[in-house]
Amino acid sequence: MNGQEYPIDQAEMNKVVEAVRAIKDGPRVLQLYMDICAKCGTCAKQCHVSCSEPLRRNNPASRSDHIRGLYKMNHSVLQKLAALLCGSIGASLKKETLDEWFRDFYECSGCRRCAKFCPFGIDNSVITRKGRTILHSLGLTPAKIRATQKTSDQFGNNEGIPLQVFMDNMCFLEDELLEEHGVRIRIPVDERADVLFATASAEILAHAETLMGCATFFHVAGISWTMSSEAFDAANFGFFSGDDAHMKRKNKLLHDACMKLKVKKLVIGECGHAYRVAKHIGGTNYWGKEIPYEITSILILAAEVLRKGGLKLDPSRNPMPVTYHDPCNFARSAGIIEEPREILRACVEDFREMTPNRDLNWCCGGGGGLGPLDSCEGVREGESSFYEYRMQVTGKKKLEQIISTGARYVAAPCGNCKRQITQLVNYHKHDVEVGGLFDLFDKAIIL
Amino acid sequence: MSVDKLVGGLLPYLTCIVFILGIAYRVSRWNRASVTRMPLFPIPSGRAQKWSQIAKEVLIFKGPLDGDKSLWIGTWIFHATLALVLVGHLGIVTDFPRLWNALAHKKGEIDAVAAIASGCAGVILMATGLYLLFRRLAVLRVREISSFEDYASIALVLAVVLTGDIMRFGSQFDLNPVREYFKALFYLRSAPVPSDPWFLLHFFLAQLLIMYIPFSKFLHIPGIFYSKSLLWQK
Repeated sequence: MNGQEYPIDQAEMNKVVEAVRAIKDGPRVLQLYMDICAKCGTCAKQCHVSCSEPLRRNNPASRSDHIRGLYKMNHSVLQKLAALLCGSIGASLKKETLDEWFRDFYECSGCRRCAKFCPFGIDNSVITRKGRTILHSLGLTPAKIRATQKTSDQFGNNEGIPLQVFMDNMCFLEDELLEEHGVRIRIPVDERADVLFATASAEILAHAETLMGCATFFHVAGISWTMSSEAFDAANFGFFSGDDAHMKRKNKLLHDACMKLKVKKLVIGECGHAYRVAKHIGGTNYWGKEIPYEITSILILAAEVLRKGGLKLDPSRNPMPVTYHDPCNFARSAGIIEEPREILRACVEDFREMTPNRDLNWCCGGGGGLGPLDSCEGVREGESSFYEYRMQVTGKKKLEQIISTGARYVAAPCGNCKRQITQLVNYHKHDVEVGGLFDLFDKAIIL
Repeated sequence: MSVDKLVGGLLPYLTCIVFILGIAYRVSRWNRASVTRMPLFPIPSGRAQKWSQIAKEVLIFKGPLDGDKSLWIGTWIFHATLALVLVGHLGIVTDFPRLWNALAHKKGEIDAVAAIASGCAGVILMATGLYLLFRRLAVLRVREISSFEDYASIALVLAVVLTGDIMRFGSQFDLNPVREYFKALFYLRSAPVPSDPWFLLHFFLAQLLIMYIPFSKFLHIPGIFYSKSLLWQK
């Protein structure tokens, strides 16, 4: 992609400058991040991308300087003078600059590990998303993400699954569950219940075993639940693209379904960003503090049920060494850290921790919308595709971690993490299975 | 107007106004802006834990301690020594005869301790300051994100330290006219400005630095409380 393929006129370039200049009036987070970064370099030391490939463009502070430099050039007299004297990063906005923005802002996986170590808590993922929001307004979003958003707006789910196919799919999974467990386990759709369950539609297609495991869980826990034919997809690509309007629109589907079916709880399945958008970004922020339903994760729910006791699980049915990957959106961004471990310890015989883990875990390399990206968009001569970038750069730390645990199964409760790690172990020829927690639950449960 | 009248008679008022108005302007901009919900977990629960987290960052620089020890060793010693030096400067602008009496120490002893402490502090500040400048030049991931502003900031700070060290280690320096001058300044009265050229240069550079704070990354001084607390809003 270069300036010629995507003609950007001067009016649009001015819009970019205006959008950055407007940071002066808020939000507070961006004002602060423009003002106080001391360029100490700690973020680069603790970023999985920067550690794997120590190029300048992978340095979180440098990436943020795309916006910070432009902001400073358009504000203080002192900084304009300084920039004139010695030239600061991102000083001027050329068409080629937007090419860099496109490539760089889609190479940050938004994992927020930098924020954990920055002395001021500067979260570069916020600046990354701001960059993506600006790019989106110019139509500069990776094709896969753009297309997925379009599909989602048309069909109500990211995969474009039509209603009848979804219903057939659920029937099929019920048959599978009957065959597996010898007991009729239902997957209710559009029924009045206590719980509305939603997960990533990609997961439903690619990892149906996880959904089956969730259904089994609701069954044995005696929880009244349902899915919604209009809102079974909790995934939200507006979160990745910086398109706030899409993010709200997609979240509304969940909200409307909860209100329509009068549920007490919205329970999100194994999808990290889906939970984060539902609980922390959307939800009460969009629809008011007094929404009549609680928003929670199936991981929290299952841990609660396990603690109460009464479920019979046989961990020996999962004898292989299992390790747990803390998805960034569950650990750092949602605080769901111990619950998955409680579930795993109950379901598997040989549980091993990665190092580091919990809120300091390394990103799998597929976060922030990177997981679904395979194309060669935004790359220059001699550089490789998003796929190669994920396999060789962003996934490097994760692969090292997995190998050193000696695990044969990586449990990751997030669809993009599953995709990334599966591709990673296959690409690097390691015999490791990747799956969800509820897959293991489904195997261990004694009905 | 002579240099000493400019640096000591006029500039301090400008410095105060620029600093106070500048900080007020920048902080009010933060206060007025919208707050985003962006919790980073685990969130410290309750006020005590939140203050403890802030204290850990401000007092022991936890982020760099965990994340980049080559940075921590330089920046922590620098800032800790700077804090002591700033406290020590209270003894330059005024005196505390009642405090020393209360502690039952003789004036001569206090002066001796102050002389040794200030000397050590001056050397440590210079050494760690140079280490941080050297690090910025030598470590690639730091050099590639450094701009003119970053080098100018450390150069200015080092210049203030250097001139301070020259005063401290140079020929005998009588603090009494300095104390008289600052006491008068505090009460907005005029007094003869000490004419020692190194004092004037040090004072001038220090004021430049103070005026620069509201327009620089030194805004992290109030800023850190805002930026950290943003991560804790649920």
